[in-house]
Amino acid sequence: MTSTLHRETVENRVFRASYLALLVFMLLPLFVVVVTSFSQAGRLAFPPESYSLAWYGEFFESTRWLRAFTNSILIGVGTALLASFLGVTGAFGQELDTDDSLGAILQPLVLIPLLIPPVVLGITLLMYFSEVGLRGSYASIILAHTLWATPLVYFVMRSVFSRFDWQQLDAAHDLGAGPVRSFVHVVLPNVKHGILVGALLAFIISLQEFVMALFLSTPSTTTIPVLAWTQIRQALDPMVSVVSTFLILISLGAIVIAAIATNLEWLSKQLS
Amino acid sequence: MTTTNTHDPSSFDRIRDAVIGQSNSRRALLLMAPLIAFELLVFVIPFFILLRISVASGSADLPYESGTWSLDAYSSVIENILSFDLFWSILVYSFVLGGAVTIVTVGIALFYAYAIWRSNGLVKSLLLFSVILPLLTTLVIRTYAFTPLLSPTGTVNDILLSLNLVSEPIQFVPGIVGAGIGQLYIVLPYAVLAIYSVMATIDWDIVEAARDLGASRPRSVVEVVVPQVMPGVIVATVISFAWSVGSYAAPGLLSENLTFAIYIETLLLTDQRYPVAAAFSVIMLVLMLISTGVLFAILNRFGGDFDLA
Amino acid sequence: MSEITLHDLEKQYGETTAVEDVSVEIRDGELLCLLGPSGSGKSTTLRMIAGLETPTSGTISIEADDVTDQPAYERNTSTVFQDWALFPHKSVLENVAFGLKMRGMSKDDRQKRAQSMLERVQMGGYGDDDPTNLSGGQKQRVALARSLAVNPDVLLLDEPLSNLDKRLREDMQIELREIHEDLEETFVHVTHDQDEAFTLADRIGIMNEGELVQVGDPDEVYENPKNRFIEAFLGDTNFVDAVVTRTSSDAVHVDTELGTELVLPTDGEPDVDEGTGLTLSLRPEILSINGEGRPEAAGKQPVATDGSAHNAVTGTVENVIYRGSTVRYSVSINGSSMFAERTDASTGAHAAGDDIRLEWDGEDALAFSDDGTRVTL
Repeated sequence: MTSTLHRETVENRVFRASYLALLVFMLLPLFVVVVTSFSQAGRLAFPPESYSLAWYGEFFESTRWLRAFTNSILIGVGTALLASFLGVTGAFGQELDTDDSLGAILQPLVLIPLLIPPVVLGITLLMYFSEVGLRGSYASIILAHTLWATPLVYFVMRSVFSRFDWQQLDAAHDLGAGPVRSFVHVVLPNVKHGILVGALLAFIISLQEFVMALFLSTPSTTTIPVLAWTQIRQALDPMVSVVSTFLILISLGAIVIAAIATNLEWLSKQLS
Repeated sequence: MTTTNTHDPSSFDRIRDAVIGQSNSRRALLLMAPLIAFELLVFVIPFFILLRISVASGSADLPYESGTWSLDAYSSVIENILSFDLFWSILVYSFVLGGAVTIVTVGIALFYAYAIWRSNGLVKSLLLFSVILPLLTTLVIRTYAFTPLLSPTGTVNDILLSLNLVSEPIQFVPGIVGAGIGQLYIVLPYAVLAIYSVMATIDWDIVEAARDLGASRPRSVVEVVVPQVMPGVIVATVISFAWSVGSYAAPGLLSENLTFAIYIETLLLTDQRYPVAAAFSVIMLVLMLISTGVLFAILNRFGGDFDLA
Repeated sequence: MSEITLHDLEKQYGETTAVEDVSVEIRDGELLCLLGPSGSGKSTTLRMIAGLETPTSGTISIEADDVTDQPAYERNTSTVFQDWALFPHKSVLENVAFGLKMRGMSKDDRQKRAQSMLERVQMGGYGDDDPTNLSGGQKQRVALARSLAVNPDVLLLDEPLSNLDKRLREDMQIELREIHEDLEETFVHVTHDQDEAFTLADRIGIMNEGELVQVGDPDEVYENPKNRFIEAFLGDTNFVDAVVTRTSSDAVHVDTELGTELVLPTDGEPDVDEGTGLTLSLRPEILSINGEGRPEAAGKQPVATDGSAHNAVTGTVENVIYRGSTVRYSVSINGSSMFAERTDASTGAHAAGDDIRLEWDGEDALAFSDDGTRVTL
């Protein structure tokens, strides 16, 4: 009996040590990025020899980085809007579809782009956009990012709609609300948090996506990850860390907004 | 009593009605139409164009000769592969890196998902947070952070040297180890979430029951939990494999070898050999599809009965 | 307040037929109950009247207007749903005012009307509440007020009482009945509960496997069921297999598993051949035990112990079940089992093992042919 207990204690310790090591592995690179952004030296090293806000100052003076930052936000918002529109209408349509034959094609079609290496997608779209004259436009990057963001919005909305009580839509029709007004007055108020979470996901995906953007962007439409990539390949200075810190903060902000949105919903349910 | 029998739908509704009629399935079709049109225009048609370019002939001054039909691009890629030349080494390197990363990723992801599943409270939140935060960070940054850590003058080598575990720095970066670790870090969060989402639906009681029947704890987990999370393991494997074979950023930054993704970029942007780039992409996609199918079949076989004894 | 005509209504989902050949005229101001087991097509029929489902074929008219192709939001019908489908993001008053808002009524008017509807269902003090906080009975009242607020041509009720507990359900039945009498509107009420149908209905339409089997006044469908399914669905009964052995000028004699030859009187020459298989239904209320008065048949004469229609069998009590106001005896007769009931538990009690005699008037037994249709002999 004692030997069994002893064995389980050892097992527990090994188990805990292993996952804590993995936790460190998962967070360490991000920690390195944030810490090195406060480095004073021009050479990237961890831990830095001395700390300063010098590179933050550089960032705010660099028109190239600020331009890329604006581009990223612009493309991110465009992607969030387009992907939300496509994902919400697609999932809603599939929910209304009674025989579901179209949905059986739609679901894999929406999912497949996620499983194709982004480089292949990138060159495919580059060739295509050259043919149709969209090469170098913001639209080309927004469309490419939407290809990746839509599946996520779509699956979030499918799960949100599956929890919606569809009898409410019947009730709205029954009380005289047409297709548009029943959606606006009855469906939308019940799924708006899901749409918000989906749109935030789409925004983050666009903000982070790099391979397709690398192929599709021109100097005037360069996004932050693309500029970071070209910068890294030239010189390893802490500027990329500064930019990365901003990106991490934006992502954290988005998580907090999403958490507040879903939790407020949860909170209001608890209070009622 | 006021009677309100008259209907007064807004004019917007009236226009909608005129367009879509009253049938529910027509309305459903209309709602799905934008998404279907988008997938056709931005995914299906581009792929047909890729296929079309892969069977066009090359040109001296243009990326490709439009309107021509030729299998030259395929024959040159296949010949090159069969004579174990550059394309062959790129292909092997891509698959070795992809395969190795996939095996390690799925193993670690299973363990990490289990740790999240078994923990609770703050630890659980922290573990989940550690998976989600990297997921939301661009892979450029995720990869870039390993440079100061793994380079010969980096943090890990400093520690190893000061502990006298090695006599001279190990060159993780640039090298296949660095590329592998970088790629592992890119796909691990997705793999963990894919497995965890299935694991979260399992009842812990079944593990207790297995232990009650005399299985040791690690054994009861392997015998009872692993077979049940097979759907999640399959998703994790397919995602890890597809993305790692086609990896670009990690090997590009952390190694000096060429993966097929990097080489395609060179073919396309530097050499301007569109048909060859397209043909190589198509061949790699087919090979990935076949190997994914094989992986899927093997895992499905284990899905029902995971017998290690 | 309208007459509704369903003509040859049919609804198919792919290969399965949910509703088939349903034709009925729903009279102005009546309360019609569609009664049937689950899956019998009663809710689908109701949803087609509401416009929430499109019929595969057939027509629906309200008054003289063919509304078959009108969507739900253009029909002036109104539905109370099974789970009430109250909008969780709107207050109780906003829920009730929703239909009026969709009809373009001004805010003041619709709030005033919604408030008066809430008062009509005794929910006047709950206007500002969140509907998710209400009890089942309260939600039911709000849903009713919401549907009545738009002053519909017909109120459709899709098993709205089935999620309430028994006591509340019975109170709500009476209340619904009162509201119906008060408003004199046409109500169509769907239920699977025969007691509910008998409590509420002016007329009952019985549905089975997508077909409307019989429509009639409650006592008509109960006493004169069209087929064996209705007989079985409307209440507990004893089905006894029988074979015609001989016929006379005013009676049919049958041989049964009960071991005794039974007599079924006829008006005039019987229309069956010898050897025909029949199923007899012997309801507990037609059976008298040891010659004592028939339960639940007050006013009727005791079973005549002579006469050509008299039937009697004897058997042994197997077990006794007290069911509150009645006592049920399970009786073994010649190896088959039958049950009989008596209303007064205190008198003439029988115990398991006692021999008893069951008697009935042959005119009270119903006969069905092998395919389940009613046979009038």
